[in-house]
Amino acid sequence: MLNINLQYDWEGFHADYCVDIFPGVTTLLGGSGEGKSTLLHLLGGFLDGRGELFFNEESLLSLPAYERPISTLFQSDNLFPQLTVWQNIAIGLSPSLSLNNEQRARIQWALEKTQLADKAERFPQALSGGQAQRVAIARAMVRKKPILLLDEPFSALDPSLREEMLYLVNEVTLELGLTTLLVSHLPQEASLVGGRVILIEQGCITAHEPVSVLSQSKVHPLFSRYLGLSSV
Amino acid sequence: MVKCYNSIIDVKLLSLRAVKGLWPALLGVGFFLIMGAASLAALLRYSELHSWLGYMQQPYLWRVVRFSLWQALLSSGISLLIAIPVASCLIHRQFYGRAALLQLFSVSMVVPTIVAILGLVVVYGRTGWLNQLFGVQIPLYGLVGILLAHVFFNMPLAVRLLLQGYDLIPSGQWRQASQLGFSRWTAFRWIEWHYMKKVLPGAFVLIFMLCFSSFAVVLSLGGGPKFSTLEVAIYQALRFDFDLDKASFLALLQVSICTLFAVIVYRVAPANRQDVSLLAVNSYVIRDSFWAKSADCLALFCAFVLVIPPFLAIFDPIFSPVFLKTLQSAALWNAVLISLQIALPAALVSLLLGVSFGVLARFCMARPYLALLPNKIEHLGNMILMVPGLVIATGLFLSLRDLGWGLQSSYWIVVWVNAVMALPFVLRALMPVMYQQEQRFRHVYLSLGIQSWSRWCLEWSMIRTSVAQALGYALLLSLGDMGVIALFGSQGLVSLPLYLFQLIGSYQLEEGACVAVVLISLCLILFYCSSRFIGGVTARVKH
Repeated sequence: MLNINLQYDWEGFHADYCVDIFPGVTTLLGGSGEGKSTLLHLLGGFLDGRGELFFNEESLLSLPAYERPISTLFQSDNLFPQLTVWQNIAIGLSPSLSLNNEQRARIQWALEKTQLADKAERFPQALSGGQAQRVAIARAMVRKKPILLLDEPFSALDPSLREEMLYLVNEVTLELGLTTLLVSHLPQEASLVGGRVILIEQGCITAHEPVSVLSQSKVHPLFSRYLGLSSV
Repeated sequence: MVKCYNSIIDVKLLSLRAVKGLWPALLGVGFFLIMGAASLAALLRYSELHSWLGYMQQPYLWRVVRFSLWQALLSSGISLLIAIPVASCLIHRQFYGRAALLQLFSVSMVVPTIVAILGLVVVYGRTGWLNQLFGVQIPLYGLVGILLAHVFFNMPLAVRLLLQGYDLIPSGQWRQASQLGFSRWTAFRWIEWHYMKKVLPGAFVLIFMLCFSSFAVVLSLGGGPKFSTLEVAIYQALRFDFDLDKASFLALLQVSICTLFAVIVYRVAPANRQDVSLLAVNSYVIRDSFWAKSADCLALFCAFVLVIPPFLAIFDPIFSPVFLKTLQSAALWNAVLISLQIALPAALVSLLLGVSFGVLARFCMARPYLALLPNKIEHLGNMILMVPGLVIATGLFLSLRDLGWGLQSSYWIVVWVNAVMALPFVLRALMPVMYQQEQRFRHVYLSLGIQSWSRWCLEWSMIRTSVAQALGYALLLSLGDMGVIALFGSQGLVSLPLYLFQLIGSYQLEEGACVAVVLISLCLILFYCSSRFIGGVTARVKH
């Protein structure tokens, strides 16, 4: 379980996140600038926050990004353009690219799982947007880190491709037993991946519910303002 | 159809109006070209081409060419070899004095040559600090001295060029490196080297050319004809033999070798894109280790040992009783005045030329049929690095003499040649920010019809730091010039570096050291004034 009790201040913006997250997919919903990505950056170790952060009773707060049990996928710049698809995945296992047979087999498994086996020797520039993000997912798969953070990595993709990616994320989460946090603007995406939803407003977690609250005929009062249904 | 025809006319009118606003820039670049062509034509008129074959059979000439190439290759190689780990360390580590070191690096590459040489003599000379403290004596006069001086000037320049290359690395790559637990070596291998190898060829060519055409360093530390370069041979041909034919042959040979070298290097170099060079890069923590710390310490130690002692040595005479006595000399203040009279107009002309090149180059960016020109225009300005200043000056002198202006034109020749010799440095400071402004705001300026002076007023706050840096470089280079002034300096035209050279030549070393303090202080004051008053309160060294 991931226990979050974090505070962060930046130029007049105050964030205070307090929540316990269970394995499975949790979607972070909220308007622009409300603090969804800030939470992911705090968890990933890319911002320094105050408070407590535990995963399975181990404190993560003092650990640098590379020592946290976390893989993060960002909106862009997930791949090194100077490395091939295979190298981009392998670098997640060993930065020096010296791998043993078991690790090589794991890369092959990830390539096949993400349908990239025939593109292993290509460079990221030769891939489509969806293929590039699949490479990033493949890297997260081989790293075997129990927490996966997704900071709107599919926002630039067209709807059908985005849907395909979300199914893949869901599948990987279930298969590897991950704790996945997905930042999204779209409630439909939350419904697609299932699990739970968190609503973030002005740097605070204002709701943490099963995703079914979004599809109920009577919208949960905490979500109505975000969904633009306050007058209903 | 009529509508389409009208729109074509509109576009043409717009282009004509845009070109009309370009006339000051065209005038600047045109004047630069005319002066260069006049100088070259005058030299060729005095040349006897049939005698050039004879020069080519002289073993002395080939020895000079061999040594010029060898010392330039060694100097640029060593400078870059030290600069690579230093730049990497400066990117990854924040330490007390880092900003001061970067400031020092920005100044050391334009420190007056003669002053730096004096500093090197105080540190490495026969009775220098090194010998006094550790009993180590190195043969300063010869190849070692030349290399030490070239590394002193060019290693900081190489570090700054490499740091510009680091700006090309998207911050997303550092973020990934931090997440994936890259060590410093892995980050260097997979990220830094990929971008560095795009910058290295350009840096290598620039430093090679500076060292290949090195004059004052070789003249002072060469120690005799065994260690002479083409530039010194040109000076000897002009100053002692007034052999214009030989001087033009040697100049042409120098230009040919530099061009050939640049063409070869650029042919094998990967393409360099200047897309995100001035965007802020967030810093992410990279995994540290004992080995990374040790390598950084070693790199910084090398940089400190090579750059700082000669700098400190320059200020050593402040505590000597001779210092006050030297300050009372009328000849010193006369030389200060002459130096200012040369440096201020030269820096201003250089800046105007740089702006002209910049405006013209960015006008051509992303325009049909003209898109290839910006690079060519920039190369044209940088080409001056290959042409010996002495040759331009002599050619110009001959042209003006033919027009009826005799020795009275010397002052203007010194000013002009100093201005054009500083142009590559001015362009290096100005061009990136001018390109960036064009890329970001081109459509806004076009749609609002903002151009010429109004555009400068709008852009001023964004570019003033670079303008100040460009002016500062030009000022320092002109103040420290020991090339053209050595040829044209006379009783009434003795600048500070020439006065210093004369004092050293007459074995008045102590007085010379005091004059060096005055010269370096003048440089620092002018550089500060340029940064403070033109760059504004926000002016600071970016890297």
